[in-house]
Amino acid sequence: MVIISATEFDPGAHLNSFMDASQNAGAIASFIGRVRGEHNEVESLYLESYADVTERGIENAESEARARWPLIDVLVIHRIGTMRSGDPIVLVATASEHRRSAFEACDFLMDYLKTEAIFWKKQTTKSGSEWVEPRAADYQDNKRWS
Amino acid sequence: MVKILYFGRLSDRTQCREETIDLPDDICTINALKTWLGQRHDLGDALNLESIKTMINQELVHGNESIANAQEIGFLPPVGGG
Repeated sequence: MVIISATEFDPGAHLNSFMDASQNAGAIASFIGRVRGEHNEVESLYLESYADVTERGIENAESEARARWPLIDVLVIHRIGTMRSGDPIVLVATASEHRRSAFEACDFLMDYLKTEAIFWKKQTTKSGSEWVEPRAADYQDNKRWS
Repeated sequence: MVKILYFGRLSDRTQCREETIDLPDDICTINALKTWLGQRHDLGDALNLESIKTMINQELVHGNESIANAQEIGFLPPVGGG
């Protein structure tokens, strides 16, 4: 399941629901991404999406993960809008019979989200605002799966 | 009428994220539209950069496609990742 949320979400509550719904899974891996403090210099982070296009892209990545690994369930929640330091941006949870599939699928989905997902990111610091693009290391991480 | 969407850094240049326009009859391809919008918003070659992707009706297009059946056209700068 893919959810794009314009409002703050509670990763713990969503993870609990995900676990309750995946009773047959012996392994659940999860990742929570939050707005970094950057030494308290980041005042806000704004994320923009292209509505259904962004959602479809993430759903395709979920399908690819399900084709690669024997997953019982997948949850991706991604924020858009304005966030502040410490706010959750993303939750990825994967459920599988065994841990390796859950770990790897979670890692794969995060690499997709960091480099290919259709989001634009504007960071505001004390010295102004700028649109941010993926780091070289993010692209390198994503290449591991090709 | 066609809805034009500008994402990321492009919306800073156009001062709007979207607009719905009744295009002149002679604007019937992507390249003509880019030139026309470039003049309308004083964008220089911002829409013509290779890094800008174009979507017609939410489907990625390459080259100088016809916009005859376009209800929505999006201009997408490089994505920033989540």
